[in-house]
Amino acid sequence: MEVLALILIPFLAGLLLLIARPAAMARGIALVSTLLSLAVVFWLWYTWTGVAVTGISHDWVPAWGMRFVLGYGGIGLLMLILTGVLFPFIIGTGYKQPVGDPVLVNALLLFCQSALFGVFLAQNAFLFYIFFELTLLPIFFLLLKWGGEHKRAITVRFFLYTLLGGLALLFSIAYVTLQTPLPHSADFSVLAALHLPMHVQMWLFWTMFLAFAIKMPIFPFHSWQPETYTMAPTQGTMVLSAVMGKMGLYGIVVFLFAIVPEGAQYWSSWVIGLSLFGALYAAVIAFRQNDFKRMVAYSSMSHFGLMCAALFTWNAYGISGTMYQTFAHGVLMVCLFYIVGAVSQRTGSNDFASMGGLKTKMPRFALLFMFVVGNAIALPLTQSFPGEWLMYNGLWQWNNWTAFAGVLLIVLGAIYMLYAYQRVMLGPDRNIAVTDADDEEHTFLVPLILIFMLVGLFPNVILHLVDGPVQHLLNSFTSLP
Amino acid sequence: MVKLDLLAILVPALPLLGVFITGFGRRKLSAYAAGGIATAMVALSFIASLILFLGHDGQTHIVHLFSWIHVGAMDIPFAFQIDALSLWMMLVVTGIGTLIHLYSIGYMHDDPRVATFFAQLNLFSFSMLLLVMGANFLVTFIGWEGVGMCSYLLIGFWYTTPAFNYAGRKAFVMNRIGDVGMLLAMALMFYQFGTLNYVDVMQQGGLMASGNPLIVTATLLLFLGATGKSAQLPLLTWLPDAMAGPTPVSALIHAATMVTAGVFLVVRSSVLYELAPYTQDIVLWVGVATALFGATVGLFQNDIKKVLAYSTVSQLGYMFAALGTGDYGNGMFHVTTHAFFKALLFLAAGSVIHALGGEQDIRKMGGLKGVTKTTYVTFLIATLAICGIPPLSGFFSKDGILASTFAANPVAYAVLVFAAMLTAFYMFRLLFLTFFGTYRGTAHPHESPKVMTVPLVVLAILSAIGGLLNIPHIFGGHSWLNTFLASAADGIGMHPLELSAGTEWTLMAISTALVLLTIWYAWSLFCKKTTLDGEPADMPFLKRLIAKRWMLDELYAWLFEKPFGWISKHFFSIGEEKIAVPLTAGTGKATLGFGEWLRKVQTGNSSFYLFAMMVGVVVLLILTYFSA
Amino acid sequence: MEHVMTAIRVVPLDSYLVLSFLLFSIGMVGALVRRNVIIVIMCLELMLNSVNLLLVAFSAYHSDPGAQIMVFFIMLVAAAEVTVGLSILVLMKRNTDSVDMNILNRLKW
Repeated sequence: MEVLALILIPFLAGLLLLIARPAAMARGIALVSTLLSLAVVFWLWYTWTGVAVTGISHDWVPAWGMRFVLGYGGIGLLMLILTGVLFPFIIGTGYKQPVGDPVLVNALLLFCQSALFGVFLAQNAFLFYIFFELTLLPIFFLLLKWGGEHKRAITVRFFLYTLLGGLALLFSIAYVTLQTPLPHSADFSVLAALHLPMHVQMWLFWTMFLAFAIKMPIFPFHSWQPETYTMAPTQGTMVLSAVMGKMGLYGIVVFLFAIVPEGAQYWSSWVIGLSLFGALYAAVIAFRQNDFKRMVAYSSMSHFGLMCAALFTWNAYGISGTMYQTFAHGVLMVCLFYIVGAVSQRTGSNDFASMGGLKTKMPRFALLFMFVVGNAIALPLTQSFPGEWLMYNGLWQWNNWTAFAGVLLIVLGAIYMLYAYQRVMLGPDRNIAVTDADDEEHTFLVPLILIFMLVGLFPNVILHLVDGPVQHLLNSFTSLP
Repeated sequence: MVKLDLLAILVPALPLLGVFITGFGRRKLSAYAAGGIATAMVALSFIASLILFLGHDGQTHIVHLFSWIHVGAMDIPFAFQIDALSLWMMLVVTGIGTLIHLYSIGYMHDDPRVATFFAQLNLFSFSMLLLVMGANFLVTFIGWEGVGMCSYLLIGFWYTTPAFNYAGRKAFVMNRIGDVGMLLAMALMFYQFGTLNYVDVMQQGGLMASGNPLIVTATLLLFLGATGKSAQLPLLTWLPDAMAGPTPVSALIHAATMVTAGVFLVVRSSVLYELAPYTQDIVLWVGVATALFGATVGLFQNDIKKVLAYSTVSQLGYMFAALGTGDYGNGMFHVTTHAFFKALLFLAAGSVIHALGGEQDIRKMGGLKGVTKTTYVTFLIATLAICGIPPLSGFFSKDGILASTFAANPVAYAVLVFAAMLTAFYMFRLLFLTFFGTYRGTAHPHESPKVMTVPLVVLAILSAIGGLLNIPHIFGGHSWLNTFLASAADGIGMHPLELSAGTEWTLMAISTALVLLTIWYAWSLFCKKTTLDGEPADMPFLKRLIAKRWMLDELYAWLFEKPFGWISKHFFSIGEEKIAVPLTAGTGKATLGFGEWLRKVQTGNSSFYLFAMMVGVVVLLILTYFSA
Repeated sequence: MEHVMTAIRVVPLDSYLVLSFLLFSIGMVGALVRRNVIIVIMCLELMLNSVNLLLVAFSAYHSDPGAQIMVFFIMLVAAAEVTVGLSILVLMKRNTDSVDMNILNRLKW
């Protein structure tokens, strides 16, 4: 029942907003709703026993194998935690950095959260697909209405691009479902038991991977990302990078590793090569960006590249590290985009040229930013470090040289993040009229900083969630004929 | 055991507490309160270390706090290792740290962000303690990165000067390049041994054959990390720039403690290095080359702190040379004495700078020995110590290193002796130009307050008598420090020196005589008359090359920075703007264009539609016929 | 019923085929080349009826009444379709004062 509540709470709250249109209280209602969802997520976490849970199981369109099955395993729970923890902050961004009509914006964000919970709860491929595409709709409207320059062209391109990937996924799901014994079923448990012949897995891998690669995005399917992130309103960018990108990684584990494991194994060197190249490529590009937001967008792409590469190394460290990092990266991206928003709100532009020397005027903000930079460059005892360490280990066990390429990212990351920090905060005071971080901004950033410091100190709380499922995944693969 | 656990936790926890107090109270605390609290925390930490040290029973104690990273077969605990090596480093770090904190109260009291400064200094102490106390590579790595971050923050402490920020970034990035090696080494060792605990790694590694390629790779990668942190060739250019930070920072971080982290790491993994003779050779020659490099560049620098910075680089080279010959005891001994006299030199230089209101150019100093008496005397002691004049501390440590280098490789020995002569030359040039002759500046020099001179005196005493720690056998001593360190858990490899007493005496006499000769030469150049160097542009070619640091910065800029910027720019302008985005946009455009063309088929003429339909039916019929 | 079948079978099947092919071709050519809408509609009817003829013939030769039912359906649909077609024709005549089908070419691109 709790699982249904997770989908319904944000959905109903969103409907309520649309019907009642309480302009003044819209953010409050949305915030309460997300906190309620968070409480449910924490309840699920608290009652988690390490065994996969199926909450609801109903027939829907049995002839096509469509069933309404909701549940979660360890990895799914981690994704629920990610969504549950980050959305209050994403809604909260609206207090300080309002975008357009609060009723509509918050309703759209809540619908998006509802769909995201659906994605991570769905235990049936069709249901997954439906939620997967549903997440796009609210974001589409959010971007279309409140985006920046060239919003129409960029939004449509983003929408069509991701939809294209979705179609490939739909085709794959339909194909796979027809391969199941009668009566057809698209439940993950049934699909995972399927042993497709190698030549099928070889192509099926790509039709499925396409959807997830575009979603994350992975080089060379990334061209929608920097523009969209830059143009989108802050809250939209947060949802896109912090949560929606993770659907790609989650999908890889749920679909590719379960349904086409041999195909994934066969293509893993290609994927790792592409991902790592993309990660380095994005990190190098980030260095010379003159737009703060675009720089963060490229850094996000760089991180996704590393995560995807580590995922395909097929060992406990790589996969656990990636799964752990989804959460770390989500927290980091919310922090970074909030800071970008807060700074550009003050200076009136995302351009580094309009910043510089701000630390004199805003020392408290600079300190908060410094913490976030520490997390972004994966200093130990911040949340990002254990994930990166595990991913490097995963890469090393797969191949020494890929580990070398991966570890180069910590150098590049330090180069572009510290350069960005310098260009925003340091240097002589340029007498730009800015105010220091106020209480609202502290209320926003300090809890996030506490989260990433505490998780960095005790990463096991997250790692315990994924440890079992990852071992199970690896065992099921090694036991294949 | 409970007492030991508690003390071991207190040692890093106290400075961390100081970070919180001074950090959160940075707006409310006065400069003296913040400084006092920060100093007290490090001093208490020193006392805790001292108690641990005095109660040390020669055993290795692991203080296990909690399991930090646990995935599958990987279980990395957050644990401290208390043994001779970590205890010694704890004493050095907290001891020197206390003095420098104390000194900073005087040096920084005018700065509006003094509490922030002390918070960062305390954070540094905390990180450094984690580094030396970690029971596995990963906990050490926490401190390793932490000190790098603090170094970045403190170099750029006066953040309004872009050059300082650049220096901070450069330091951090170069350290990170070294960290690539460190991370890869850890991944390799974990892959090989399934653990990162020093005790287990050394035990398992010790069983492997000498020259095993895995060990060689691991040690080389670790050494890459050490070169970054300890400013060895090729990753040394950040250290001189790091002098942009406040002088106490230069003393604590960039002379006494952080830069010796690389030495510590190598000594910690000495079991592995003993099994990799190939790596040892590289360590030796990198050390020797760096010693020479630093000493040559130091000759013509005019910034008082830059001279000391290159001197640090050079002295670190000596330490690595010692490690390369397997003489870990003397390496650590030199770490200790160097911490004494180099911290003293920096603090005294800071006192001079303070006295002259911020002037750092030695061409605008001179004749200060009358005004700043304490500073002058302590500086003199430190200078004699670094030059290796008996019986000051530097003599014993440097001579130990020279002796073991002679035993290992006479060529390296010759280079090191030459570097020692250069050291004597530039140090006395510095001393004479600063304190002798007539005053050439415009400020009104004054002696520093007591809070600054007391640490100077303490360090001067330590620099003078520090040699007592490790008196070699030929002087009737028992090499106490070597013996003590050898009890460390992972067994620091010890090579009894295989030189006859006669050879040792000869070596000592040679180096001391040459150094004295050089001092006389420096005296004749800079004290009898005052020879000032102009700008590098006016110098002859070789001298100019040296004064411009062998063009290493320019070389790196040309080799790495420029190409990196170029690649970054063109990846974006070509890869993104010319290929990736147009490709997606092109897909859309192509679809549109095709539709534009195809819609012409809709002529609106019904007869044509009928005709098209008929053609279609006929084609389908033909297809059906042939496929059947 | 039986005698009707027999009567149909008097003529060989080939003749029906040829006839219906001819009728169909005439209808098709007429529909393609004529511009008068009335004639085009008549041609369409002709094509339909040629198929009907064929269906009836085959039905008789195969002794399967199913095809004849199909014929009724086709006649029904044809009647309905002609109704619509003729009403369009009337409207067209009223609005454009012409029955030339190429006049109505605005619905394009």
